[in-house]
Amino acid sequence: MTSHDVRDMLDLPQEGTPRPTKKQKLNGPRPVLKGLAREVQNLGGDNPIAIVPEVTVFKKRRFATRKPAAKWDARPFKNSARQDGLILRHWRRKDDKPAAPTVDGEGEEKKVEEIEDSTFAKYNVQVNIPDYTDEEYNLRLQNQEWTKHETDYLFSLCREYDLRFPVIWDRYEYEPPIPQPSEGDAAENAGALIVPPKTRTVEDMKARYYSVAATVMALRKPPIKMNSAEFNLHEVMLNFNPAQETARKKFAETAFHRTKDEAAEEQSLLLELKRIMARADKLGEERRELYARLEAPPSNGNIAPYTTSQGLAQLVSQLASADRSKKHRKSLMGGETMSPATGPNTSTQQPYDRRESSVRESISGPSGLNNKKGSSQNPTERRQLTEEEERIYGVSRHDRIGTSGPAFRQEKILKPLQSKSAVQQQKITNVLNELGIPYSASTRLIMPTAEVGEGFDALLHSINNLLDARKLVDKLQGEIATAKAVRAERERVERERGEGGAEVKREEGVGIAESRKRSASVMSAASDRSGKRLKK
Amino acid sequence: MASQPLTSSMQPTDVYGGDEVSAIILDPGFSSVRAGFAGEDTPKSFYTSYYGVAGDRTIFSDEDIHNPLIKDLEIRNPMSKDGVVEDWDAATQLWEYAITSRLTKFKQGDPRTNGLNDKDADVEMDAAEDEEKPLEEHPLLMTETAWNSSKNREKSIEIAMENWGCPAFWLARNSVMAAFGAGRATALVIDLGASTASVMCIHDGLILKKSVQKSNVAGNWVSSQVRSLFNNSEPKVELIPHYMISAKTPVDAGAPAQATFQNFDHKISDSFRALEEERVISEFKESVVQVYNGPNRLNSTHPSGIPNIENVKAMPGRVFEFPDGSNQMWGADRMSVVEGMWDERAALPVAGEPALTKAQTIPEMVKASISGVDMDLRAALLQNVVVTGGTTLLQGFTDRLHNEMVNMYPGARIKIQAAGLTTERRFGSWVGGSILGSLGTFHQMWISRKEYEEFGASVVDKRCK
Repeated sequence: MTSHDVRDMLDLPQEGTPRPTKKQKLNGPRPVLKGLAREVQNLGGDNPIAIVPEVTVFKKRRFATRKPAAKWDARPFKNSARQDGLILRHWRRKDDKPAAPTVDGEGEEKKVEEIEDSTFAKYNVQVNIPDYTDEEYNLRLQNQEWTKHETDYLFSLCREYDLRFPVIWDRYEYEPPIPQPSEGDAAENAGALIVPPKTRTVEDMKARYYSVAATVMALRKPPIKMNSAEFNLHEVMLNFNPAQETARKKFAETAFHRTKDEAAEEQSLLLELKRIMARADKLGEERRELYARLEAPPSNGNIAPYTTSQGLAQLVSQLASADRSKKHRKSLMGGETMSPATGPNTSTQQPYDRRESSVRESISGPSGLNNKKGSSQNPTERRQLTEEEERIYGVSRHDRIGTSGPAFRQEKILKPLQSKSAVQQQKITNVLNELGIPYSASTRLIMPTAEVGEGFDALLHSINNLLDARKLVDKLQGEIATAKAVRAERERVERERGEGGAEVKREEGVGIAESRKRSASVMSAASDRSGKRLKK
Repeated sequence: MASQPLTSSMQPTDVYGGDEVSAIILDPGFSSVRAGFAGEDTPKSFYTSYYGVAGDRTIFSDEDIHNPLIKDLEIRNPMSKDGVVEDWDAATQLWEYAITSRLTKFKQGDPRTNGLNDKDADVEMDAAEDEEKPLEEHPLLMTETAWNSSKNREKSIEIAMENWGCPAFWLARNSVMAAFGAGRATALVIDLGASTASVMCIHDGLILKKSVQKSNVAGNWVSSQVRSLFNNSEPKVELIPHYMISAKTPVDAGAPAQATFQNFDHKISDSFRALEEERVISEFKESVVQVYNGPNRLNSTHPSGIPNIENVKAMPGRVFEFPDGSNQMWGADRMSVVEGMWDERAALPVAGEPALTKAQTIPEMVKASISGVDMDLRAALLQNVVVTGGTTLLQGFTDRLHNEMVNMYPGARIKIQAAGLTTERRFGSWVGGSILGSLGTFHQMWISRKEYEEFGASVVDKRCK
């Protein structure tokens, strides 16, 4: 007879929760005391008197350890983060072993070598700020708002203050260079032309810096070759929007200058919102549970286990524990598992080990429910790709898969080529070879990414067009040649007619008419064919 | 209990970040000079900035300048009202005294024989200095105010390098150091010293220059208010310093003093008397003066309709006994005397000085300072308000500051960081310097002698920003 059976008989709740661990003894084993000490201890009864041991010695005496005092020396060290080789001294424990006696001269040398580097030199990290040449500036970095001189100044500040823009803005004191006057009146003119330096906002400076930095970055390394961190930085810098930043700051400023009443009102509105959201959540959950209850499939298991009183009692306890566990888990699980049919199965499986099979048979719903739960959980576990990653991996989404089902991109590329006749294929391959793209139906593209595939598709399409056009040109040239021949013939005949009689002339006229007719029909046939091809 | 704590024998770990090079931190102010070794929690050497000149003798330190028996003793201060050095010769001597008397190898012997106080031995001392400079083994970290001129900054590196022979030097802003002392790199520092009150924003250890605000609403201004209070109270309080009293008998509160005065056979200079009066006033400031801490301001009316001042009058007062034995209960006056810090209209008029303007009060300075920085920083700054300087130890100061700031920025979260220990509040900037100077990562920052020789004194402007 196990405790389980006893509980069963006494209608006690099952061991849903782990048993509380044994009460820890509050007081450790009492020291065995003798004589008066024990009497004193006993005065306290169950609550032992706290007797703090008296510490008579404040500090152990040094010589008790019999160890000589540790020796320290002020050891010189340098810091490799410095350029000037400043040597400072700090206190370091002397090595216990006495140095081997050496000749004085040697000892000196050793000392010089021994100067160690500071362990803190490695913390000397610098922000990487791009540099540009004059040429690059003139080609790519010109800006109406910023002169090169001022851009240089901004970059020097960025370097000086490690891109802390609030500080850069605070210390920004740009003075445009004073033009060197060559003559007296020229200087006056220049003085009139000097515009007072603009007051730059943080956003102006950021926008300028980011645009220059992004351009220089792209110049040094085309975006395709960047690794993902660099690419992200490049994107972020490219997408900086000063107007939006300014608007955000303006908004933040107005929020900052709220009065006390406004602040209080906002607080109360936020509270209200929280309450409304909580109520909506609760309502939704209740509704979901209701639906789950309504959808619970009718049990078609046998009712044999419940015909005895023991069985009924078990059912009651089962339901009770299911209810309880539901209460506990409400917050943890979604509404789907809340249906009474699956409740006990999923949450209280452990205690029922012994009768698991019967329980499952009797009250679990169709297995579809469980599967549904599994499938609904899986998608959340899958890693979500960001938009950018999707672009990199060439992920595209379709509403549904076409009739042919999923296919490899490679096949998609090959298809238009394979559908052509052998002659056509040969021609296309020739053109590709001409373009320096070694390709045939049997070899593959070197890197069939989505973008490459699209490019290749476009290329094939234009090659087709090219071939068609070439065919047409050939045909037209043939026709032109025929027409020219006909004309030459006619001219020859006319010349002969001028020489010969009228009869001959009439006969020739018929001949010309005939030949003209023939050429017209040839032309129409050609145009028909070309029209067909175009349509195709 | 281990006989030897293990930690001290171990190498400093990287996380701890300390690597001491026996640097000396020198934090000169208007009222006192603080000097000590980096890595310690309080300055070992603390001297008043006032020094005495008797004939051609210069007398330093609190132990000696309060002596009325010295003939023709004039009291001077090398600092200007702005807290920057005015008299470089005296300042150099004073600082050197502060360093060599307690920190470096020029051990002070008996004052009568060590040669510092008598004229003949001075020459010998100078000769000794030529041979051996006091700071040859110690890098020196000095603090300065945010508004120090670049000429002054160059002068200080010259003194450190030429006169004292430092191997390395650094000049740090005292407000930044105060923020470091409170463990913040980004902070709004409110520093009330003796001569100036300053409010400024610090971002990542750099002062934001557009946010620097200063005014004279500091310790000396409070003293002048106290004097004004004494002069205008009924009956007028006669301020008699300790040295003039030879004997006194206890009297009831409000009763005239019964004291016999000391007679001196030489004339006591005004500056000496002023210094001694100042000591009495500081005692008064420390034990009686209190900042009204709300609700609202002292001169406004409580929502219940009773003026706040009436409520204050109902509170128990404080008794202060003057050196001559006269004593008196101080009621609402003990609060109104510093109300001018917050409300310019409440300031007591001081003869010979222009009336306080609104911009000089602390709330206005905070407001101006905060509005001088980027919007994105403000929230972080208001969450890191560092209060430092001896005058902030006025009772109720931080509570009132908090109230004022909450009223000013009701939407923002405001957190005031004020050291609980008196020493940490008074020596806030020294403590910050002590932390900075003992950091291993700071070694690469020092301006070394070699750099000084290469670039000249202007290197300090380029490096210490």
